[in-house]
Amino acid sequence: MRKIYIQSAEQISIQKPLCDEWMDAPELYDGPYTRSIDPNFKQYLSPTESRRLGKILKRALVTSVEAIRNSHTEMPDAIITGTGLGCIENTEFFLSALCNDGEQLLKPTYFMQSTHNTISSLISIHTGNHGYNVTYSQKGMSFDSALLDAWIQLQMSKIDSALVGGHDEMTPSYFTLLQRIGYVGGDMQGVCGECAVSFMVTADATDGMCQLGGIKMLYHPSADMLRNALSALLTEAELDEQDIDFVMTGVNGKKSNDEVYDKLVETLFPDKPLLRYKNVFGECYSASGLGLYTAASCLKRNSIPEFLKYGGIKSKRDDPRNILMVNQYENKMFSFIILKSACCK
Amino acid sequence: MSEPILITGAGIVCAIGLDKTEVLHALLSEQTGIKPLKYLKTTHKEFPVGEVKLSDEEMATKLGIASDAPTTRTSLMGMMALEEALTEARLNRHDRESNNVAFVSGTTVGGMDKSEQYYNDFLANDSRNAYIATHDCGSCTEMIADHFGGFSVITSISTACSSAANAIITGANMIQAGITDMVVAGGSECITKFHLNGFNSLMILDQNNCRPFDATRAGLNLGEGAAYIVLESASSAAKRGVRPLATLSGYGNACDAYHQTASSPDGEGAFRAMEEALAMASLQPDNIQYINAHGTGTPNNDQSESAAMRRLFGNAMPFVSSTKSFTGHTTSASGSIETVICLLAMKHRFCPVNLNWQNADDECVVPVHQKLSDIALHHVLCNSFGFGGNDSSLLLSDINL
Repeated sequence: MRKIYIQSAEQISIQKPLCDEWMDAPELYDGPYTRSIDPNFKQYLSPTESRRLGKILKRALVTSVEAIRNSHTEMPDAIITGTGLGCIENTEFFLSALCNDGEQLLKPTYFMQSTHNTISSLISIHTGNHGYNVTYSQKGMSFDSALLDAWIQLQMSKIDSALVGGHDEMTPSYFTLLQRIGYVGGDMQGVCGECAVSFMVTADATDGMCQLGGIKMLYHPSADMLRNALSALLTEAELDEQDIDFVMTGVNGKKSNDEVYDKLVETLFPDKPLLRYKNVFGECYSASGLGLYTAASCLKRNSIPEFLKYGGIKSKRDDPRNILMVNQYENKMFSFIILKSACCK
Repeated sequence: MSEPILITGAGIVCAIGLDKTEVLHALLSEQTGIKPLKYLKTTHKEFPVGEVKLSDEEMATKLGIASDAPTTRTSLMGMMALEEALTEARLNRHDRESNNVAFVSGTTVGGMDKSEQYYNDFLANDSRNAYIATHDCGSCTEMIADHFGGFSVITSISTACSSAANAIITGANMIQAGITDMVVAGGSECITKFHLNGFNSLMILDQNNCRPFDATRAGLNLGEGAAYIVLESASSAAKRGVRPLATLSGYGNACDAYHQTASSPDGEGAFRAMEEALAMASLQPDNIQYINAHGTGTPNNDQSESAAMRRLFGNAMPFVSSTKSFTGHTTSASGSIETVICLLAMKHRFCPVNLNWQNADDECVVPVHQKLSDIALHHVLCNSFGFGGNDSSLLLSDINL
């Protein structure tokens, strides 16, 4: 397998943006829903961009530009985005006008910025990038789908670098809707947040945060299929099962969600120390991107904040080498991602 | 390319037919599917559209789905097209489960048809909760996949009007990288008030039937539909003993990086996408016999696409036509719908006519406007361009070469 690295990662989320201060002093939330802490966009964007663009677009643009700036690649070969709901705020503006004011007076502005691919294409327009440009939207597997695409094309040497993003905004009205269908809220102890996270994923190891060991995605897998995928992934990453120091899951304090992870851990990783990230970053469709960011940040710092640890099994080592991230959506879609410490390359 | 990627099954549902036989007949007899609005409940009766000529209830009945089950028009059309593709590729549930088969589908409006009916109910009460969960792109793909079952990976691509083409590219990359044995890829999209009004607000809809590449062209007609193709390696097809329809010999994806809803005057993204597809197949421009153009009928697209084609093909311009004059612009599904039309054209040796073309435009290519039959089409390009400059081109080749 070709060795692939995460060279940089930037986030705007419910934690302090564009830095890793959350590792020392995380913001804590009680409520069922909170919006991201935005940076001063004027520092990063033109006055026109800061005025005209919706929240999700400004956040995506800033995390992308910063991730590129902090990498050793000026122009990524590919821009690949995962988003569960796309530009939902603009979509709702247009939908609401359509439903309440009728079909005669609609203005194009919100429609033009309502499609999911507005995010990826805006980044390409802003940076003048003519390379491969694609957007995935598959609920809780949106970001994982984007990362899988980058991984495949890097392995095939079709590309040497990709800007991979996970972006979702959450409006108050859409939070209400997602509560109605039980995705967030209800018995969930964690918070529903928002996500803007961008990575430079490259074949260049220089100053890498960590190595991306591989990714597998599955739909309606049997227990055997999960086991086989995990075993294949470990082989591809040149690791044995005992080399995995931590397993990071997407537990969020909601019973129906956490039970799936608990069962998976019991079956596949009964002896592994566990990590979580949604207690800090909250839940949203592209939250797995923040999970990857959390794991990469831990490997870069070579330490793991105590508040990420759960499950009671103590790690034999505090300097993590390999982290396996598990993501699932409604017990239907699953992914495994391996991150390796860059120093063990 | 390491091993050729073959297309071993294809299914289509659109304004000119509910399967390949009906679509072929309409193409050959030059009968458009663009008609006055019938199914969509909108006040904009002035715009002709390419609707699939079945109501949601009729589609559900055909598919054996209970009338009270929460579905969307996008997922219903998708199921109909997928059934035809799976049948042709002889890929039943047992075959899917004993191989590693992915489903990659493109859509942008997803379940918007129900959201725009029930949005105020969503906010006010509990009566339509089932349709909140079917709003997003991913849920349409899930519904289509779950109707048949046995897919080991699913995902959705949303790059506006090039979604289905990009789904096919992702599928081909998955097979080449050895992630899956087979991929069923394409897209589905129904007409909604949301994007009919959106396109209207951008003033790119024509109140008459669209005239791609014509000097008097004044916009597009919206269409709807779904199409899927089954992709597999040559060794997989040989092992299963299925007959390939064509080879997916190349593909290109590039970004125009020009404007959120307009194409660049020199067609940079389109040029790069087509050039990349040719390079991947190690073919020269004069190897291409036919281009199924994106050809929406808007002044901007057809000029930009023509500029790109002229840059790449110069004096060796292949036959070009836009079949959106038959189907309307089927948006996210157009890439796979037009791929299936190309497969029909290759098999039955004809160039689909670009309907309604009468007046040459200096800035546009002259499309095929008279029946061209008994033509060998060895290599064919199929273009799909989306908002935001998401431009893709697929290259289909004859299997007998």
